Amino acid sequence: MMTAFLGSLLLAYSSMLALCQGLERHYKQVWGRAPTLGLRRVLRLAGWLLLIASLWASAQAWGWAMGPVGWLGLLSLSGLLLAWLLPYTPRLAVYWPLAGLPVWGAAYLLAI
Amino acid sequence: MSKAAGTTQAWPICSRVLAGLLGGYVFTYALTAALAQLLPLDRVDALLIASLLSFTVYTLAILWAFAARSAWRAWAVVPAAAPLALIGFWPHLLERLA
Amino acid sequence: MKQTLTQSMAWLHTWGGLLFGWLLFAIFLTGSLAVFDQEIDHWMQPEIQQTSVSNAQAVEHAVAYLQRQHADASAWNISLPSERMPALRVTAGDRRSGISTYLDPLTGEPLVVRDTAGGTFFFRFHYSLSMPRNPGIWIVGLAAMAMLVALISGIIIHKKFFKEFFTFRPNKGQRSWLDAHNASAVLLLPFHLMITYTGLLIFALIYMPAALDSLYKGDFAAFYREHIDVMEEPHQAPTHPAPLTALAPLLAQAEARMGPLSGVVIEHPGRSDAHIEMRRVLGNRIALTKGHNMVFDGVTGELLAGPPELRPSVLAQRVMFGLHFAQFGGYPMRWLYFVCGLLSSAMIATGLVLFTVKRRRKYASESPLGQQLYRLVESLNVATIAGLVVACIGLLWLNRLLPVELAQRAGWEVRGFFALWLLSVLHAWLRPRLQAWREQLSLAAVLCLGLPLLSVFSDGQAWGDSMRLWLEVTVVALGLLLAWSVWRLHQPQVQHSERRVRHAQAQVN
Repeated sequence: MMTAFLGSLLLAYSSMLALCQGLERHYKQVWGRAPTLGLRRVLRLAGWLLLIASLWASAQAWGWAMGPVGWLGLLSLSGLLLAWLLPYTPRLAVYWPLAGLPVWGAAYLLAI
Repeated sequence: MSKAAGTTQAWPICSRVLAGLLGGYVFTYALTAALAQLLPLDRVDALLIASLLSFTVYTLAILWAFAARSAWRAWAVVPAAAPLALIGFWPHLLERLA
Repeated sequence: MKQTLTQSMAWLHTWGGLLFGWLLFAIFLTGSLAVFDQEIDHWMQPEIQQTSVSNAQAVEHAVAYLQRQHADASAWNISLPSERMPALRVTAGDRRSGISTYLDPLTGEPLVVRDTAGGTFFFRFHYSLSMPRNPGIWIVGLAAMAMLVALISGIIIHKKFFKEFFTFRPNKGQRSWLDAHNASAVLLLPFHLMITYTGLLIFALIYMPAALDSLYKGDFAAFYREHIDVMEEPHQAPTHPAPLTALAPLLAQAEARMGPLSGVVIEHPGRSDAHIEMRRVLGNRIALTKGHNMVFDGVTGELLAGPPELRPSVLAQRVMFGLHFAQFGGYPMRWLYFVCGLLSSAMIATGLVLFTVKRRRKYASESPLGQQLYRLVESLNVATIAGLVVACIGLLWLNRLLPVELAQRAGWEVRGFFALWLLSVLHAWLRPRLQAWREQLSLAAVLCLGLPLLSVFSDGQAWGDSMRLWLEVTVVALGLLLAWSVWRLHQPQVQHSERRVRHAQAQVN
């Protein structure tokens, strides 16, 4: 259950990150330059796909009845975390999910 | 927000608050009862669905009281409630009259 | 007077939000704590240990004890140990008002456990403000309506809903408070709307009995019988003593059908009309299954009723209740609700603070009455936001500091809670604003950070089991957060140029 839960959390945060970076003002905030229109579209598409993946992961953790409820909670909290990190540590806001991957991997291997 | 925009006149504000809270409640009560009677469902289902929707109606009624163009219009919910109350309680009325 | 929709909704949001904000903060904070009510109960009863014992064994001990001490009781209630509540508790007589005893699940012997208000106090305060039942419920309902109005009016006036979805600009004074308020409100909007609406639905038939009055002439009992298959009371034949049937097979049957059990209720034990109700743990599904249990004949062991099948509309209603009660989904879901609840409380707090920050510069130009009113608002902000936190953590301190043998101990804990809160109101009124905030938040931080030490000194041992450890770790984490906020308050306040301030005020949202 923890594997799916952590997976859903990481995917939720990544989806919020992608959607956020698809907005010009926030892309500039992190990278210092304006994104091209193509890049923005790719980021937004990625964001929506990660969103759906996150929902699927939540359903693996809780089943399809409780899954959507947990998913919305994870999305909200991820979004808030992102909004809070961006002005203080924009690069950390973008890169910490990579550090989250080993934790997820450990959970997966321990099959919890 | 400019100073004139509703900050200084006490009576219209009181009026809207009452229209929203009390008038809105009366309207919601009547509409819920009417809905309970009108829904083509079993008694239990009709009660649950009408009650489920009632708080949305009440919220909108309160918003209406403040969005309405004048404090008088805010009270429109009360006369609107009358026919709804009739629909909601016609069996009880018939009993009384019979 | 002519106003645009935005102007009228902004007025409504501001003043409705202010008037009900303090109450709503208290409701949301205690509601968040109530998510872990049983865990807090457990922490506040250090005499109870976590053990693992099978239901059958626990019931055997319980029945043996009840047979010895309360053989003639009209009913026996057995609260079984569960993951969240490791206590084995028996009650003779009515479940709420009968004689209760805690038993050691391993030996079956009675335990002396301190009388405490427990985490259940936060739950009761949350829906009734600790007032005698109905007035409190009505006030909470009114506050919930105010919350709905504030949410919808807030959405209407927030023009840059999507543009500023992730926007947070710290260290900019008023702008930052507005950003924090907007971000926490928008990003948690599904939670806010869901928790408020489902909260109202729980007491819907008290708040809005229109459909009940219209369809059932207000007869709730008739409605209850129609929507849940209630077992009819058997006709009153003269009863005679009869041995109680073996419970272990019934336990197994009930567990197979309903999942983990929370308790057993035996009506008329030892008589021929005995009934056994197996109560299930809430949370196997979202729908709140409170009261939907299996009932067996106490002498023959035959299944008499339940668990009831729910028709779609009743199921929908129960799902709504369940979404609010948050008993489902295990600990991960429970933590999500807890964090979201705390953040919602913070959202309300940012709104209250924003109100004062926006107007602070103009206090000097207000009338004397105006100035006193603003002073009142500032004090109430401190007393409600910081003071309530002090009172809540204070309740846990009182639990360990009050003598165990004190009569009516639970009542004294509650009195202490309100005394602390009242003192914080007085303190906030008497002290200058910034000092009041710093001092109360510091006290809250110290009480939170000191909780593990309190535990050690009052019990002679550290936390005791994993559940209490988790609680203390969480409290310490919250204490660190409070300490950080005190540190922030000691930093130089942000200064603005007049032009920037006017520009910020022009943007209502």
